[in-house]
Amino acid sequence: MTSAGPLDLRRYACPITWVKTRIALERLAVGQVLEVWLPAGEPAESVPRSAAEDGHRVVAVEPLGRAGAAGDAYRVLVEKGTPAAALA
Amino acid sequence: MTPELTEDRIARWARQLLVPGFGAAGQERLMAARLRVVGADAVAGAALVYLVQAGVGTLWIDDPDVVAPADLEGWLYPPGSVGQPRAQAAIEGLAPLSRFVSVAPYPMGGVPTATLICASSTAQAVASAEVARRAGVPHVVMEAEGDGGTFVSVPVGAPCFSCGRVLAGTGRPPSPGAAALAALAAQELLQLIADATQKDGRRVELLRGIGSSRLTVRLPGCQCAPKPPREVAQADDDEAGDTVG
Repeated sequence: MTSAGPLDLRRYACPITWVKTRIALERLAVGQVLEVWLPAGEPAESVPRSAAEDGHRVVAVEPLGRAGAAGDAYRVLVEKGTPAAALA
Repeated sequence: MTPELTEDRIARWARQLLVPGFGAAGQERLMAARLRVVGADAVAGAALVYLVQAGVGTLWIDDPDVVAPADLEGWLYPPGSVGQPRAQAAIEGLAPLSRFVSVAPYPMGGVPTATLICASSTAQAVASAEVARRAGVPHVVMEAEGDGGTFVSVPVGAPCFSCGRVLAGTGRPPSPGAAALAALAAQELLQLIADATQKDGRRVELLRGIGSSRLTVRLPGCQCAPKPPREVAQADDDEAGDTVG
């Protein structure tokens, strides 16, 4: 299982966070894992949800950063699903 | 060369990139596309605006007429444009809408990626559709009627416009309300470009704001039917003979 990223989207807001994640996933092969860094709040909640709805598998959602900064951003790992599920 | 899907382009088309069937690959196909639009009257104006804002690479406007007073009821032409060549007035109206799109008059002999036909007469629509079909160019043909009408999509190899069109209408002149039909026709063309695997043509009718869709069916004996390989070879020989002769 190969991985791609990290795709650092900490300075972006919705819907650009999901748009850029989706474009990155579109360019991976099925089974590859994309690492995405997202700001806390709505993006960290909605991007994993949208990825799952698009047919991908969310492998992990965990705080990113040094001690004390946890909660400011999140690290999300998404495994690309089948093209049919991803593009439907 | 296809332009890259850069930050500013992603921001511009963010929501369209999420539409099923588009995505990055579809948007890049739109960015690389050269679209020919036949007819640029008041009704077609909505389609032109839609195509520019969707991010097609090049838009060629094919209309030899001038802006008529009736065209001012559409989306595109300002009052002072009456009497100006439509193609030029359309370019001036569309240019401020997007810095990512090149809008120009149709260059004679130019080969488009796809064609949208908003012709003012059925005869011109049939002729333009046949040109596109023979050139292997996917096309969508719109026939406005009142505030609705019909469009027929013709992917390469699908039943032709003549097979798919509605043969009997009431003959009401188009009104600006047909802008909805034009926008739908433009969207259909974008989908043909974004998803090159579409093989089925369809006819969409819009009546009093309600749309209905059905797949087009090839009429018996129509010349748009795929030819057996032997006939194709014979036709190629005949065309070569014509050219030499």
